[in-house]
Amino acid sequence: MSGLGVNGMGEPAIALRGIRKRFGDQEVLRGIDLAAHDGDVIALIGASGSGKSTLLRCIPMLEVPQAGEIFAAGERIALRDGQQKLDRAQQAAVQRMRTRLGFVFQSFNLWPHRTVLQNLIEAPVHVQGRPKAECIAEAEALLEKVGLAEKRDAWPAHLSGGQQQRVAIARALALKPRALLFDEPTSALDPELVGEVLKVIRGLAEEGRTMIIVTHEMGFAREVCNKAVFLHQGRIEEEGPPEQVFLDPRSDRARAFVSSHFNRNR
Amino acid sequence: MDYDWELLGFGPDGWGPVLLRAAGVTVAVSVTAFLLGVVLGTLCAWAKIGGNRPVRAAAEAYTVILRGIPDLLVIYLFYFGGRQVVAWAGGMLGLQGPFDISGFAAGAIAIGLISGAGQAEVFRGAYHAIPVGSLEAARVVGMRRFLMFRRIIAPQALSTAIPGLGNQWQSVIKESALVSVTGLVETMRQVTVAAGSTEMPFFFFAAGAVIYLIITSISGLVFKGAELWSQRGQAPARL
Amino acid sequence: MDFAFLSETFFKLLAGFPLTVNLAVLSLAGGGVLALLLNMARASGWLGARFADFYVFLFRGSPLLIQIFLIYYGLGNFPAVRESFLWPFLREPYWCALLALILNDAAYTAEILRGGFRAVPRGAVEAAEACGMSRLTRLRRITLPVAIRQALPAYSNEVISMFKSTALASTVTLMEVTGIARAEVSATYRAIEIFLCAAVLYLVSTLLITRALRLLETRLSPWLAGNRA
Ligand SMILES: Nc1ncnc2c1ncn2[C@@H]1O[C@H](COP(=O)(O)OP(=O)(O)O)[C@@H](O)[C@H]1O
Ligand SMILES: [Mg+2]
Repeated sequence: MSGLGVNGMGEPAIALRGIRKRFGDQEVLRGIDLAAHDGDVIALIGASGSGKSTLLRCIPMLEVPQAGEIFAAGERIALRDGQQKLDRAQQAAVQRMRTRLGFVFQSFNLWPHRTVLQNLIEAPVHVQGRPKAECIAEAEALLEKVGLAEKRDAWPAHLSGGQQQRVAIARALALKPRALLFDEPTSALDPELVGEVLKVIRGLAEEGRTMIIVTHEMGFAREVCNKAVFLHQGRIEEEGPPEQVFLDPRSDRARAFVSSHFNRNR
Repeated sequence: MDYDWELLGFGPDGWGPVLLRAAGVTVAVSVTAFLLGVVLGTLCAWAKIGGNRPVRAAAEAYTVILRGIPDLLVIYLFYFGGRQVVAWAGGMLGLQGPFDISGFAAGAIAIGLISGAGQAEVFRGAYHAIPVGSLEAARVVGMRRFLMFRRIIAPQALSTAIPGLGNQWQSVIKESALVSVTGLVETMRQVTVAAGSTEMPFFFFAAGAVIYLIITSISGLVFKGAELWSQRGQAPARL
Repeated sequence: MDFAFLSETFFKLLAGFPLTVNLAVLSLAGGGVLALLLNMARASGWLGARFADFYVFLFRGSPLLIQIFLIYYGLGNFPAVRESFLWPFLREPYWCALLALILNDAAYTAEILRGGFRAVPRGAVEAAEACGMSRLTRLRRITLPVAIRQALPAYSNEVISMFKSTALASTVTLMEVTGIARAEVSATYRAIEIFLCAAVLYLVSTLLITRALRLLETRLSPWLAGNRA
């Protein structure tokens, strides 16, 4: 097989091959292959500690894997054997790739010293270098979309968790990303606030956005995704259409995991 | 430049004994001032937390004033002002001069007052850091105010206050050098004298700085130890 | 009370006020730059970090008075200093006092700034990384602004502390407010009135500075305004 992401038609938005990641002598990812084509919504599920966050963070290289190849938003980073640090060209590619992906964190990570609107236009203006007036207009439309138009000039610290996460989603969208990555976007929220965030993400799925979502909300995952991936101890144990992975998994471990989580949520 | 290290020794030409004694005076002034500060700081914090309006205002004024005036000026006020008062009182009583007051006393009182203002803030912060729940728990088992202060508030507050008190103590040591302006022969004064009479100012001021560094380092270790001790049984210290 | 004497004293003291302000402003400016350099040294690696630690240890562990004397009386001991181009400066009490104030302020400010950097939420920096900000943009737009806001309350105390510390310049003959007060007392022996007069001058200044810094704090960190007691 040649390199990932052959140019032309059918080029995936994100494609990973042979991703390995170690922390000390703990092997967290043991060779992961995964592809997301435009319009795909992939649900990444698995027990706590199975490596979901690490895998997701490897895509924009918030964690640098020890081996593997990452192709995302038109940029390719192939790690050479034994490579410790990224070289200059790779770093530049990472920067370009990051501006074309949106990342939503479990703990929101809004910038505390910027208002809601300023959080949204920070990267478009100062990283992508786009005209401010245009960015503000777009940001206002995005706030409208996540239902927070009236919070335009509020400070992050004055918002509820659900509102902060919706701002964080709008901030990710402001980059006009090719794909969105969600790391347990509702895990830090009080139960009554989960719904408002899921609603926004569901809306994005209906728009046909490309997304990879790490989540423990099984019912939600089954509804929105067109592909589910079950991770176990750093390997993909099961992947396929949601009906298969959630309702009739082949692997025993996936079956046990899914059934226990569905029971818990009902 | 060659230095005759024997100048710091305990031989016939050595300044060792007087420097050691001066270091002792530095510690003595500092301890006196610090203890005065503990008393004033506790009273002041108490006034700010539980006092009625005029008491709170008085405590507030005390801290604002002492934190707004240079330490040196406070010492001047107590020393020279004190002398003026004593001379005036002596004159009224028909006594003959010259009149003087103790640099130790004036210095210790001045620094104690300054430190009291700082310590009041430390104690107040420590009080507010006590979880409300632990006060409620004391109230529901029927503890009265004083018992609650002694058994629940003071131990918890003291434990959180230790790092802040450590900083206050370090300030007191450094402020004690200012008492040299009263002529009290503590470390600063003694090295100034030695610097003048040997005409080796760099050598002796550096030696003086080292003496202060030794005192502040040792006290730092002591307070660190006290902090660890006070947190025994609780979550490990987080840096 | 002798109001004529008090007002006369007050105006005499006021003549020293510009020098007091001059020393405070310049020592804070110099100390601030040096503090930033110390933090950069700390970030540069093991050696830089040890140097910064040692510097802070020296200047925070000994009294400012001895640092002033060490520079003013001590440096002249060295022929190398006396022959250097710096001697015209280091001979002057003004430059010696200013140098000591700067070096001293740098140690305290460096620690305050370090605390500010440490208090920047990890997630805020990560979010900046994730949207492709370069190292420099991150420092300029996220890390430094957040760190400075975090450090501002502690730094306000340092500003007040430095303003008061300028009084020590009087010990090397400088005629700022405290120096003039001291000289007037020697001339008139009316210590209480004169020193109280000086105290009022300092007190009013520090209160005004505190007020101004509070305003700056709420302007820079308005989201904290509601939480401030
Ligand atoms: N920065 C890190 N340093 C060391 N170990 C880590 C780090 N990040 C994650 N790990 C470890 O890697 C494993 C997988 O973590 P993670 O990817 O967060 O799992 P998940 O998101 O599936 O719960 C865990 O055992 C975790 O302790
Ligand atoms: Mg995780």
